[in-house]
Formats: sequence, structure tokens, C-alpha cells
Amino acid sequence: MAQMTYLQAISDALRYEMRRDSNVFVLGEDIGAFGGAFKITQGFIDEFGAERVIDTPISESGFVGAACAAATTGFRPVVEFQFIDFIACAFDQIVNFAAKCYYRWGIAVPVVFRGPTGGGIHAGPYHSQNPEAWFTHVPGLKVVLPATAKDAKGLLIAAIRDNNPVVYMENKFLYRHYKEDVPEGEYTVPIGVAALRTMGDDLSIISYGATVHLCVEVARTLEREGASVEVVDLRSLVPLDRETVLASVRKTGKVLVAHEANITGGFGGEIAAIIAQDAFEYLDAPVMRIASLDVPVPFSPPLEMAMLPSVDKILAAARQLLAY
Amino acid sequence: MSQTSPKPDLPDFPAEIEADPKQLPYDKEQLLRFFAAMRLARAFEEKLGALYRQGKLLGAAYLGMGQEATSVGCISLLDKGDYFSTVSRNLSAWFYRGVEPGHVLARWFGKDQSPSHGRDLGLFLADLENYGIAPFHNGSMAAWIPTGAGYALSFKMRKQPNIYLAFTGDGATSPGDFYEGLNFASIHKLPLVIIAEMNQFAYSTPPEKQMPVKNIADRAPAFNIYSEIAYGNDLFKVIDASRRGIDHARSGNGPALIELKTFRQRGHGEHDDMSYVPRELREFWENRDPIRMYRRWMIERAEIPALDIERIEEDASHQIERAVEYAEALPYPSPEAVTERLYAPSPHDPRAEDRKNIFEPIENPAVPSLTATKERSTGGHF
Ligand SMILES: Cc1ncc(C[n+]2csc(CCOP(=O)(O)OP(=O)(O)O)c2C)c(N)n1
Ligand SMILES: [Mg+2]
Repeated sequence: MAQMTYLQAISDALRYEMRRDSNVFVLGEDIGAFGGAFKITQGFIDEFGAERVIDTPISESGFVGAACAAATTGFRPVVEFQFIDFIACAFDQIVNFAAKCYYRWGIAVPVVFRGPTGGGIHAGPYHSQNPEAWFTHVPGLKVVLPATAKDAKGLLIAAIRDNNPVVYMENKFLYRHYKEDVPEGEYTVPIGVAALRTMGDDLSIISYGATVHLCVEVARTLEREGASVEVVDLRSLVPLDRETVLASVRKTGKVLVAHEANITGGFGGEIAAIIAQDAFEYLDAPVMRIASLDVPVPFSPPLEMAMLPSVDKILAAARQLLAY
Repeated sequence: MSQTSPKPDLPDFPAEIEADPKQLPYDKEQLLRFFAAMRLARAFEEKLGALYRQGKLLGAAYLGMGQEATSVGCISLLDKGDYFSTVSRNLSAWFYRGVEPGHVLARWFGKDQSPSHGRDLGLFLADLENYGIAPFHNGSMAAWIPTGAGYALSFKMRKQPNIYLAFTGDGATSPGDFYEGLNFASIHKLPLVIIAEMNQFAYSTPPEKQMPVKNIADRAPAFNIYSEIAYGNDLFKVIDASRRGIDHARSGNGPALIELKTFRQRGHGEHDDMSYVPRELREFWENRDPIRMYRRWMIERAEIPALDIERIEEDASHQIERAVEYAEALPYPSPEAVTERLYAPSPHDPRAEDRKNIFEPIENPAVPSLTATKERSTGGHF
């Protein structure tokens, strides 16, 4: 074990896989000598050379298409988006090539698309988004969002070894704000298994990504008030650990779904629908959702805070459910 | 429409093949092999058009008649291990590589034919293992230029002396992917060869409404790559120019763009009446049909007995008959198969025992209001 920030855990996973497997290479903007906008690949070019740490022109569709093709020949490329917002520029190659290639031809595309998501750092509409639902809707892609440093490492290694295109979404607030003991060397987390961050009997809060931390804080607060709350961290949206979600709901009978992406068309709706269909008889209250408001992420702090979920907003909804 | 369109500016391409057979490195067998692939594609597409008109095809039919010489000429230059991708006009390239007509037709019928098993159109095929035909996103024009750059990148990274050849229509040189892929390929000197088929139309759009330059090759200087223009209906001119482009790319000098002037003899698809095509243009190119020119050249210049040529023509008809029988007899994929083969099995797929111990508490949650005041975020700079 070693203390690592969430960011260091990502670097560690990348470095570990690049040392282990010469087919793994990384590409993206300013990732070489500069080490990437957030310094995830700092020092990589010295260790692995420019052949495997490829600086790209500002051409997301171009280098994403190239990475996907290289993946079909046995390489395992990891694409870095400087900010996940720019994944929109490569949307066509991801949803129409990478996602469908195996289904169409039986030719696998083991590629990872990773990049920083999330607001709360006053970065405005184009450097704060949480676009996971764009991709969960596309069969053929896997979508994972680590909430902890351990998961950041374990899920990234699993994603690199996965034989499918995996969208791996990092949270940029957690990069340097979350630190914990992370296993050194080999460490994987299976893609499609949720984790319980707290255990409880009165209420299930289902979440993923950075919002999990808010939910844990809420659970702690409610615990002091005598309620017992279970926080389910999905970790992977596709494939989804339905089993763990449904087991928790059947135990508590009350569900709050919380995520940072805006509410309409967000993944929380999918969770609510699954619960309505497969655990209806167990529910003692309507399923509630807390998510961002349906607006672009605004720059000015008071606006941004009003838009994003917070401990207070989740707490209020949780209290409402507990009292139901 | 055709009466009102301005008189087209016609090039001065001859209506015959000029090469001296004695100067060519091909024996009779090879000359007939070129012919067989072109003739088989023509016969196949004639059949496909007929099936379409009889209402026996699912959806539309897109034919490549008139572009057989560009397709076969380029593909004949590939080495073992090279990859390529085609657009909807290059059936003869598949046949030159040995793809079975029956398999192609079965795909057009939506039958249970590998590797797609009815999931994709008969127009498309990807099979790296058997034919070097690369998968790409066939929906959006030029999406294969970034992926072509990716195949070229993997050749370069593995130090393999291979190239990627991408057939590309004139219209497909306008989308952003064309620039992004070629820009990336040129920066990294990747062995990507673009065979740009200037067939005079992109659906109904003529080149002057497609690009602000006269030739596709005029776009090449922006990428600092090798380029040249050749007459695409003369098989040997196709081969000459394409060989120079392929040699350039194979030698590590970066991408090449070879523009081949040719003509799409049919509509964009068989549903298209081509009313927008000026009569003079059509006649000009019909007098320069690549297969007819080549056939005449074989008899008159290369002194190949007509009997050998006729045998190939008869064989093409038989192959098409057999293809129809094969494709009709093949079953459709079973409905249950629709959800199969979506995700490739992977080493860290969840197992039942992985869910036994999923309690992993977070001891110190990172909550913005709790931490932001303590530590200044170093993120957010862009
Ligand atoms: C991005 C995109 N826009 C529109 C289309 C619809 N479309 C399909 S083929 C085509 C014309 C292509 O022309 P060209 O590249 O010259 O190829 P040709 O058909 O002449 O061989 C169009 C507009 C598409 N496939 N992709
Ligand atoms: Mg065209």
C-alpha cells in the first residue's frame, strides 16, 4: 500500500500497464514533454519514449479514429482528452466505429477513452461537463467512473485489459482532493461490480463518481441523527451491477439516486426505471433523484453552486424520504 | 435539368489504352486476372441492379460501374500484410482479393454470412484476417481517414513495411475527418495512401460545389504530402500513378494522395435517375468505359485470343448464377442471435464471487465545501 491521490493512482495504473504490456500506448494533446494538462503523464515520455507517448494535433476525431484502428490490430491505446468536454468532437468515431465494430465484424476494439469530468472548480460550460449518459446509451461501449483512488487504479487497469472500448471518466475535483492507501503493483477492480460505501437499512443512496463523497457525508450526518443509510457506489454504469442495486433497494425500501450530471436524460432515470420495474413491491416511497439542474455549467460561483448537487440538497431529499 | 446545365468542361483523355504491352511486366495470365475481377464485378452489379428493380433487394442498391479499373489497378499493387478500405464503388477490388461473390450477395440479402451475420449491409465488408479489408465507420464520409491513419500508425509502430490504402470519393474529401486524419498522418509520416476517385459527383453535387479547387490533389499541399493526378479509366495509368504513391508511403516518406479521374456511370444509387448529369459528360465517359477499353486493348494490342476472354466472360455469368443460388439457399440469422457478440469477453468481467465482499467504506470523503477552503485546487486552468 502507498498513499496516493486520485490523480497519482491514475498515473500509477497507466505506468504499470505500460511497463507490463508493450502494446499499451497513450496519445493526446500535450501529454508528452508537458505531461498533460493535469500532469497525469508527467515523466512518461522519458520512460516510454515519444513512440508510446504520442503528442497529437488538436484533432479529436482524427486521433480517436486512429487509436480505435490501432486497437483492432492488437494495440491497447489509451486516449486522453484534455477535458472530457472535447469528447464531443470525436463522438462519431466513438459511437459509430468503436462501439459497433465488434458487433458488426467480430473485430474487437480494446481502447480506453479517459479524461477529466466535473464541475465545482469554476471552469465554465466547456470544462465542467459530465457527459456519461451520452455514452451509456450506446450499446458496445462500457462506461466507468471511479470515486476513489483505489478504484481509479483498479478500474483503469481493468479498462486497459478489457477487449472493448471503455469510456473512463475521471473527476477533476478529486484529482488532488482525495488521497488514500492504494495497493502497489497489480490491482484490478472488475468492471460491473458496485461497492457499498456505507451500509444501512433505512435508505439506499445510489450514486457514482465524485457525488459518492457527498452521499457518504450525508450518510454520516444522518447516522448521527439515528438513521441508517446505505450508499451504493455504482463504479460502472455499463455494465451495471443491477444485483447490488436491487438487493439494497429490497432491503431499505427507500431510494435516492444522486449524480452530478444534469437530471433530464441522466443515468439516474435508468436506475429509477429498473427499480420501478424490478423492485416495485419493495418500495415504501417514490424513488427520488438529485442531480444538476438542466442548464449548462455556469462559471460564476453562486450560479455554479446553485446548479450542482450538494451535501445540503442530498441531505434534504434524504430526510424527506426517511420521513415518508 | 440536363438541357439547362452548362456544357461540361471535358478533359482530353483518350478513348483507348495507350500502354505498349511489350513494356509491361505482366504475362497473359496476369492480364486476364485483371480482366476477370473487373468483369465479375460488372456482371455482379448488373445482377444487383436487376434484383433491385425486381424488388428483390432489401433497401437500396449502390453500384460502382465505371470504376473497375481504379479499384483493380490499385489493389493489384498491395503487398502481403497491407490493409485497405473501400467505398461503395470498389467491388472489383474485393473480387481481385478473392472475396466470394456468393458471400457478397448473401450479405446483400441479409443472410447469416460471416463475419457480419446479417448485422451490416452487403455494401460493406471488414475482414482483416482473410483479405486485409479493414473495419471503419462506414456511415459518415471520411471517417476512414482517421482510422486509416491508425492502421498506418500501427504498421509504423511495429516497424512493418506495410501501407494502408483508402479509397475515397471526391465528396468525402470535404468533411473534417479528412483533414484531421490526414493532418495526423502527415505529421507522423504514416504510410497512408489515399486513392481519391474523382467520379464527377457526390450524390448530385458536382466538384465545383464540393471544393474551391479544381482537383482533389490541389488540397494536398496543405498537408505537405505526395500527390499526383491520373486518368482512372486506363488501368495502366492507374497502376503507374498508384505505384509511385504506394512506394512513397512504403518508404517512410508519409502519406500520398493519388487522384484518379473517372466517372460514376450509374446514379448515386439505383433509385437515382441522374437527371442532373449533363448528356455530353455521360457520353464522353461512356466512350471511355474502362472494361471495354481494356478488352479492346487485350485483343488488338496484347494479342490475347478472344476465346480466352470469352471464357472469362462466361465464367463470370456462371459465378453470378451460383452466387444467387448460394445466397438464396442460405438461412437468415436467427432472431435470438440479435443480442449476441456485443461485448468481447475480457479478463476482468465480473464473476459471482466478486460481489461477496463489496463493502469498501470511504473514510474521508472529499466534499468541495469541506476541502476547497483548505486546499487550493490546481485544476481548472486551460
Ligand atoms: C458525413 C456524411 N454526410 C452525408 C452522407 C450521405 N452521403 C453518402 S454518400 C454521399 C456522397 C459521397 O460522394 P463521394 O465521396 O464523391 O463518393 P461517390 O458516391 O461519388 O463514390 C453522401 C452525401 C454521409 N454518408 N456522411
Ligand atoms: Mg464522387
